[in-house]
Amino acid sequence: MALPTTKRDDHRDKPASSIGQSLVRVDARDRVTGRAMYPADMQRPNMAHARLKRSPHAHARIRAIDTSRAEALDGVFAVVTAADFAKVPLGASIPMGETGYDMWMVAQINMASGKVFWVGQPVAAVAARDSHVAEAALELIDVDYEVLTPVTDIAAAMRPDAPVLHEHVVTKGLAQAADGPSNVCSRTLIERGDAERALAQSHATASVSVLVDTAHQGYIEPQAMVAEVSADGFATVWASTQGQFSTELMISRMLDRPLSKLKVVPMEVGGAFGGKIAIHGEAVAVRLAEKCGRPVKLVFTREEVLQGGSGPTMGMAVDIRVGADASGRLSAIHGVYRVDAGGLPGLSPSLLMQASAALYQVDDLHLEGFDVVTNKPRTEAYRAPGGIQGAFAVEQAMDELCLRGGFDPLEFRRRNAAVTGSTMPIGTPFPSIGLSEILDAVAEHPCWTKALEPGVHPRGRGLALGYWRGTSMTSACHVIIGGDGRPVVTMGAVDISGTRTTMTQVAADQFGLAPQDVHVQTGDSKSVGYSDGAAGSRVARTMTAAIVEACDDALAQLGERAARLMQAEPARVTYANGVFSLDEGRGTSITLAELMQETLTDGAIVGRGSSSKLPLGVEIAAHVCDVEVDPDTGQVTILRYTAFQDVGRALNPSAIEGQLQGSVVQGIGWALTEGYDYDANGRLRNASLLDYRLPTALDVPSIDCVILEKPVPGVPYGLRGVGEAPIVPVAACVANAIARAVGVRTGRMPMTPERIVMAMRERAGRQI
Amino acid sequence: MSRIMLTCRINGETVSALVDPRDTLLELLRERLGLTGTKEGCGNGNCGSCTVLVDGAPVNACLMLAQEAPGCEITTIEGLSGAQGLTDLQQNLAEAGATQCGFCTPGIVISATALLAENPAPTDADIRRAIAGNLCRCTGYDKIVRAIALTATQRGG
Repeated sequence: MALPTTKRDDHRDKPASSIGQSLVRVDARDRVTGRAMYPADMQRPNMAHARLKRSPHAHARIRAIDTSRAEALDGVFAVVTAADFAKVPLGASIPMGETGYDMWMVAQINMASGKVFWVGQPVAAVAARDSHVAEAALELIDVDYEVLTPVTDIAAAMRPDAPVLHEHVVTKGLAQAADGPSNVCSRTLIERGDAERALAQSHATASVSVLVDTAHQGYIEPQAMVAEVSADGFATVWASTQGQFSTELMISRMLDRPLSKLKVVPMEVGGAFGGKIAIHGEAVAVRLAEKCGRPVKLVFTREEVLQGGSGPTMGMAVDIRVGADASGRLSAIHGVYRVDAGGLPGLSPSLLMQASAALYQVDDLHLEGFDVVTNKPRTEAYRAPGGIQGAFAVEQAMDELCLRGGFDPLEFRRRNAAVTGSTMPIGTPFPSIGLSEILDAVAEHPCWTKALEPGVHPRGRGLALGYWRGTSMTSACHVIIGGDGRPVVTMGAVDISGTRTTMTQVAADQFGLAPQDVHVQTGDSKSVGYSDGAAGSRVARTMTAAIVEACDDALAQLGERAARLMQAEPARVTYANGVFSLDEGRGTSITLAELMQETLTDGAIVGRGSSSKLPLGVEIAAHVCDVEVDPDTGQVTILRYTAFQDVGRALNPSAIEGQLQGSVVQGIGWALTEGYDYDANGRLRNASLLDYRLPTALDVPSIDCVILEKPVPGVPYGLRGVGEAPIVPVAACVANAIARAVGVRTGRMPMTPERIVMAMRERAGRQI
Repeated sequence: MSRIMLTCRINGETVSALVDPRDTLLELLRERLGLTGTKEGCGNGNCGSCTVLVDGAPVNACLMLAQEAPGCEITTIEGLSGAQGLTDLQQNLAEAGATQCGFCTPGIVISATALLAENPAPTDADIRRAIAGNLCRCTGYDKIVRAIALTATQRGG
């Protein structure tokens, strides 16, 4: 029987809704007092400490592993190797979103079997009395390697005579079938019209080639986890993860452990940015805990995080050619993208290729991508994965085209901007977007209209655009109503971006209650329904949809109960702001609190909500920055930075500013200082936060944010994704500003002082 | 390696603990005393997540041995606010949205506390210099700087 629908009366005066207000994070006080609990903060009785033994070689075959000396060390409780885990075959996957997730890759990241593909890949693990003993035991594990020649960069890996990493990899997507194994895993082609011909016929053309160094997500919290297996065989894992359910599936698959005997409890996450989607040691910790009969804590060192233990994200070599007619109409985009996936295959460049070209209307398009393996850590997602690299090439090419064709860079983009309904690179029409409105806002903003004042050194102003598609996938939640009428929402999503706070605003708005009368929490993997992980700018939008549904469901159940109590037909009951009343408020009424006090023991109220396949909330950003470049040292100072973004509807403007500012500063880091530096043997030379240099407070200005709101149809509140697009244009924006200051493009990212000076010398040499 | 007994002053209390001679002050705080508000982000003094006050000065607890602690007055994030609630600085950081993932936050609170004790009227540049040893990957620093500046203003600096 269908539940009666309780009418929602939106005309009554509500308490001021917190939607659109900068509600203080509901967990802020725990954070500023150090009380927020991350997995490394966990202590369990009789707990052992684990460490991973990692490969010192970038490419080697494992002949044998002898753990006997380590096992004999006093204080060592258990040692495991690949032999202790289920065999996960090539092609194995677990469910995740629309595509699933490569489980063979996950297994290799966590424990190498047979062959190692990068320095730092785990080959064994130890649980011991404390971390000192565990560390000492690692030295006593003897691994017999047959060392192979490593391949450490894209160009070397693509050579026909390159040492092959994977015998099973044959290039997919070639016009003619490949005749043998290769380090090129796939070729992806997105094409319409004839880009070569259109370029040949263009009035002006520009060509930009870039090489982007591998970089790390740079979360400040290293991977950490605690695993415990009860005497009855139930395993609990306290994790820092972007998704408790995907973590559970991955552990289960590596251990052949039934999901009914495994629970993942998400703790606070000390930064993730895509790097905590895959597990990194969780299954190993469970196996160690099983073997030694004690809880096991595993915490990575920073060197492990950087030297092959987790992340990084992909380096890339991109060649872009673009052309325009005399009026400034874009005629063609021709792009070749070679993506450095690291040691394991399976990184499709399709989304980043599309994203890089998405914001321009163009008839002739040729985007060709290659997924290339090298003996470096298997790369993982990082905030709009591939977006900043692609934009670094394309947005510089557009800027160069403007310089060559004599076009104003903003007017050029207005002229060619994608609009709602225009054709996306994959050939489908754009959903509702506000790019034109963003560009109008740039045109009127002082960051663009106010002339750049001269400084001690040359200055320049850059403009760049960024696009990210994001994803929707599945989110679930439920809401129960306490005996005092206060709702408690349990979400299947973890909170990596203030989700509990924004979802408190949504749930409070749905019930017409004040935010402090609603509690929103993240559930563990056994207390709430399946949700995909927090990735792809999806959680705020899809969890909002799930919460709206769950609140409707709860209110329908409550309305039926209120009708019974007030001895009226359910159709006469309306609800607003914590009060059920009859006949549009003219008759009897009962508060939600009174209703629950009266009927708590009549049975549970559980409102269920889930969202899947919600319309996308594509993200578009435009950035403007002013830089000053010291021509003697190559030092770049960012004087001013303004980020414009259409967010659909700003649920919490302060949280959105925080996403934008943090994104921009991450982008500045990669643009100017962050890059992996490998030696010829594939060992990372800068595996510390001293040498892999994240921006400090001294390196960046205050980031100005301009938030625009063009709602997405068919999505509650019209929400868009927020967190990914604001990193996409950053490096290109800085590069374009540098080019306008000193007339050079490094062709490399990061654009270190050394590379800028080299580029300037090279140009000076050419001019002599 | 056999453990040694050590007595020191932490958050206004005299505490004793058995430590491994190799333990850092950070390990003493986190592993032996359960003061987990102080975080470890790098273990070699680059990220500032483990910043504590040693005799009023900000110090990376990962770079100091536990054995050096006796004789010093050590204050961790747990010792700043106690049961009385939040300090004005903590309140302002919370309200400004200056904490996101929160992992760097205790270290930043400590660094800013030391700054404001020493310089009641810091400029934005002073503030940025004072927290330059504290890496934050989420916020972009802007809201942190503003919250510290606001605290100084409210205190009449």
